[in-house]
Amino acid sequence: MELFFNLTLNGLATGMLIFLLAAGLTLIFGLMDVLNFAHGGLFAWGAYSGTWIYASTGSFFIGIMGAVATGMLLGWIIEKWMIKPVYGNHVQQILITLGLMLVLSELLKVVWGPNQISASPPDVLKGSWVIGDIIIIKYRVFIIAVGLLIFLIVQYILKRTKIGLVVRAGVMNKEMVQSLGINIHKVFMLVFMVGAGMAALGGVLVGPYSGVIHAGMGMEFAILAFIVVVIGGMRSFPGSILAAILVGLSGSFMAYYVPDLSLAVNMLLMAVVLIFRPKGLFGLKG
Amino acid sequence: MNKNRSMFMYGIMILFLLVIPFVYDSRTLLILLTQVFIFAIFAMSYDLLLGYIGIVSFGHAMFFGIGAYTIGIFMKRFEPTMSYLFIALLVTILLTAIISFFIGLLTLRLKSHFYAMLTLAFSGLFLVLAEKWRTMTYGNDGFTFRVPDFLKDRTEFYLICLVLMVLVFLVLRRFIHSPLGRVILAIRENEQRTESLGYNVLHYKIIASVVSGVIAGTSGMLYSISLRFVNTSVFSMDITLDALLMTIIGGVGTLVGAIIGSGLIEFAHHWLTEMAKTHWIFERWIIFFGIIYILAVMFFPQGIVGTLKRLRWRKDKK
Repeated sequence: MELFFNLTLNGLATGMLIFLLAAGLTLIFGLMDVLNFAHGGLFAWGAYSGTWIYASTGSFFIGIMGAVATGMLLGWIIEKWMIKPVYGNHVQQILITLGLMLVLSELLKVVWGPNQISASPPDVLKGSWVIGDIIIIKYRVFIIAVGLLIFLIVQYILKRTKIGLVVRAGVMNKEMVQSLGINIHKVFMLVFMVGAGMAALGGVLVGPYSGVIHAGMGMEFAILAFIVVVIGGMRSFPGSILAAILVGLSGSFMAYYVPDLSLAVNMLLMAVVLIFRPKGLFGLKG
Repeated sequence: MNKNRSMFMYGIMILFLLVIPFVYDSRTLLILLTQVFIFAIFAMSYDLLLGYIGIVSFGHAMFFGIGAYTIGIFMKRFEPTMSYLFIALLVTILLTAIISFFIGLLTLRLKSHFYAMLTLAFSGLFLVLAEKWRTMTYGNDGFTFRVPDFLKDRTEFYLICLVLMVLVFLVLRRFIHSPLGRVILAIRENEQRTESLGYNVLHYKIIASVVSGVIAGTSGMLYSISLRFVNTSVFSMDITLDALLMTIIGGVGTLVGAIIGSGLIEFAHHWLTEMAKTHWIFERWIIFFGIIYILAVMFFPQGIVGTLKRLRWRKDKK
């Protein structure tokens, strides 16, 4: 029982981290048709910059804010200087974002050195609660809460505000939105920045969770996020959180029972989805 | 006339490369050129996908690595003889064909993103497999192995690689100029039209991806034979990036471009590794390659050969 509970909590927390990455990917893809292979790089940049700011200011909150700001700034630069000039050419976009991924993770090594850096949660979130014979690690609960909060905020913006309406309409049919006199490029830039910010947030949260950060983890999480995006459906925001939780849970249980197969099981899940429902479990048509 | 001239140029180049080991005695150069040939084969297989049918693969290292590990395991576990080499070749062909067929079947009916994503994820899976399956792969450290006697001599191996490169070039050229290759080109130019002309597009895409996977596997075999050592780095992203860089800088959809690109990148590699002794920034050479690569994709998408061809075409027109 205790084991089951812990594995579930662990899976949910990992799922939330993957969700932060996958949500941006889904929105960017839905709106701009760009599959951003550099997303993992933004994640890793969030982790390094956030941990560094936290270590130098002593405030975890400022660390998080700094990471999100770094992510959004990088997102802005990437969108403006790299994605926009080759807009409409998918092959070029895919190739460029992959190149960016590599440059971003190598730059991390230049700035912060090639060794991994240790990270720990702030004192408030250290330790755990004990209820009966169940031990709940505080920091995991914190990650789940942040993930849910972000999901609710973005969902609210998408469903209840004007800008959300434009984004949703853009995902369905961007030519139509443009012909109604809305500058879709501004929306693209905004969504790209928000997506990058969410990836960086996921990055800064992962540090204290796994204890160490290293430049290669961007790619590791990006692969999981791709699996999530395929399973959840390429354009579906609610799909991305459900699929992320699914992948997180299966990863956590598999890592306990058959550790060597945990990635393989998620890949198998993706293969099955691709065979029977190539639009994803929760995908929109189109 | 034009075609004859370029065939003549290729002939001169091949002759030149054939004589090099007998006139210029430098072990470093010989090994470097062998690497160039091996990676040229690899890059040509990549060019078939990216340049001729318009599929982006981010996991080409997977096929390369499968070839490299298969030969390594066979030579280590069994005797390093000719017959086991042959069996290893067959196993490599079989494995790469099955895997590329399977991935192609899953994703090639969908948009190009899916193939890129799935190959990236699968090559990640193979990297993990090579790290974890210690009894077979010896984990991260890899292992050394012995090779059959006739592959031991550097000069002979150089010649074998050169001949294989020329052979792969000719076979791929023949493949592209065959009726089947024409359909593949048509798919690149206009997929919907090809489909409405009654061709089963998926079918042709899968054929191309299988051919490409098998050739990439073979180049991986040559690579680990040349080092007599294999470790998990053959599955790494760097290998895929090398193929990408070589094809894009050389010129996509030209085959010769892949060979030229391979020469440039391998020599640049060598040079930058030398430079790393003088300044630490050169240890992070991926940054330079990455930036050159991004700039090439943005401003120079046709590569060296493509740009030259366009210039010549303009001149001929005048």
